[in-house]
Amino acid sequence: MFLKTKGFKTFFWISLILIGFFVFFPLLWMINTALKPSAETFSSYFFIGPLTFSNIWHILTDATIMNYLKNSLIVSFGSSFAATVVCTFAGYSFSKFRYRGRKFFMGMFMMSQAFPQAILLLAIYSLMNRLGLLGSYWALLISYVVFTLPVGTWTLKSYFDQIPDSLIESAKVDGAGHWRIMTRIMFPMAVPGVISIAIYGFVWSWNDLLYSMTLITDTAKRTLASGLVMTYLGEASTNWGYMMAASLVAAIPVSIIFVFLQRYFIQGLTSGAVKG
Amino acid sequence: MNKLFKKKEDGLTDSQVGFLLILPGLTVFIAIILYPFIDAILTSFTDRSLIYPTMHWVGLKNYVKVLSDPYFAKTVLTTMLFVIGSTVLPYVLGMIWAIVLNEKFRGSEFLRGVTLVDWIIPGTAIGFLWSWIFNGQYGILNNFLLKLGVIQAGIPWLGQNGTALLCVIIARTWQMLPWYMAFLLGGLQSVPLDQVEAAHIDGAGNWRTFWRVVLPNMKQTAILVFVLGIIGNLQHFDLPWTMTQGGPARATTTLSIEVFTTAFKNWDMGKAATVGTIWAVLLAFFSFIYLKQIRDAK
Repeated sequence: MFLKTKGFKTFFWISLILIGFFVFFPLLWMINTALKPSAETFSSYFFIGPLTFSNIWHILTDATIMNYLKNSLIVSFGSSFAATVVCTFAGYSFSKFRYRGRKFFMGMFMMSQAFPQAILLLAIYSLMNRLGLLGSYWALLISYVVFTLPVGTWTLKSYFDQIPDSLIESAKVDGAGHWRIMTRIMFPMAVPGVISIAIYGFVWSWNDLLYSMTLITDTAKRTLASGLVMTYLGEASTNWGYMMAASLVAAIPVSIIFVFLQRYFIQGLTSGAVKG
Repeated sequence: MNKLFKKKEDGLTDSQVGFLLILPGLTVFIAIILYPFIDAILTSFTDRSLIYPTMHWVGLKNYVKVLSDPYFAKTVLTTMLFVIGSTVLPYVLGMIWAIVLNEKFRGSEFLRGVTLVDWIIPGTAIGFLWSWIFNGQYGILNNFLLKLGVIQAGIPWLGQNGTALLCVIIARTWQMLPWYMAFLLGGLQSVPLDQVEAAHIDGAGNWRTFWRVVLPNMKQTAILVFVLGIIGNLQHFDLPWTMTQGGPARATTTLSIEVFTTAFKNWDMGKAATVGTIWAVLLAFFSFIYLKQIRDAK
């Protein structure tokens, strides 16, 4: 795209080195600190020196943190699944059906991204309190669906838009009903979109701090993000080795999912927000 | 009009099925967004607290209280600084990084993927990591500067008024740079190359080509990403909370931190809802631009 002038080459190499350092060094530093023996936490050596898995082992054998991890898995899988179903239905509906209020609902769904989460939280808290759901997985599970709703519905709508109506018509001629058309023809064709939304929902739930800190009042039900904040914030003496190991443990599941399913994710991410 | 499903073979008409399909989404939307939003606005006119069971209408008292609170103006200012810094910085760096990674060199695909890891990991982990880097006693930044001889004693980056917000902005920049990069790279790749080549043949240099051909061709993405970034930052909570809890001396208290602490630390729901409502008006402005962009894109 750009001419390989001397100026561009200079710009390219300086940017590659400086931004590359900014992007990658902190992550490596996290891993590095997590792998140092306790006595060496404050040493500044970079991987070249004594390394051990003892910090990570400490975290992995900590029953409280493993319980947080379990809670995170339950809530994230649950809400990801729920969000995927809700968004697939809604996206299909917006794409292939025409009914009164459709445009209005579409606008509403799209706008949900723009409501400040912290203010919604005030009323969600009271609502969950009244329903007796405060402190249960359900409070988070339901709330998280909303994070995925706008992007998810939009992404899947654009997937369904690409499937020609003639496919539906010929299925109708063959005598297929709504349910059959949906589950046998439409949904299988939107699989890449569905996967990207499932990942999106999972990552959102996994990473959320604000809602899980507020809606989960029972320590035994805390998710990893808020659990770690509760564990390490405000401690008199911080054990940075443990903290970095715990951060690493929290970061690994989403990173693994991401590395394997990256293609779907980026595709979904960009098409959902940029396309109409 | 789509008339594919006009027959009543399932016992349901086309529009009934369509409506049934959005019903789950609609229910969640009403329960988790619409109802809470209206409830919060109403709460802003009450003295509701989570500690006392009773609640009274107090009219505009909360608004007077919030708007005359000298801290409120500071919170808005802090939010503005945070939003501007945390949008512009990763935007510019993300753009440069996208240009770099758009050059097809060996490993560019790999770098692109690994870059996104910064963005995908939990905000809590990112907050911990940057607290460690900026740590006043043993942090690697101080360590590095001490070794270079730039400073004589460790600086409490997160513990002093002048640098805390900047540190949070830097951490946020690190987190979001990949996100901007992903979108802007997509934008760059959508620019028609023949136009770029034509510009080069006309004798336009890289700088000129970028501003006259590349950027205008990806204008839609460029604006949308910027607006989305602002909306995201206006909402952002994780990093100022995990790194500094809004401190020191409210230096990193943004609106989301303020609403959270007012409601769930001081249990003053009325006041929290008032701050939240004022904030929502701010957000609505940017959301309007966003929706307009989306509409124009269609």
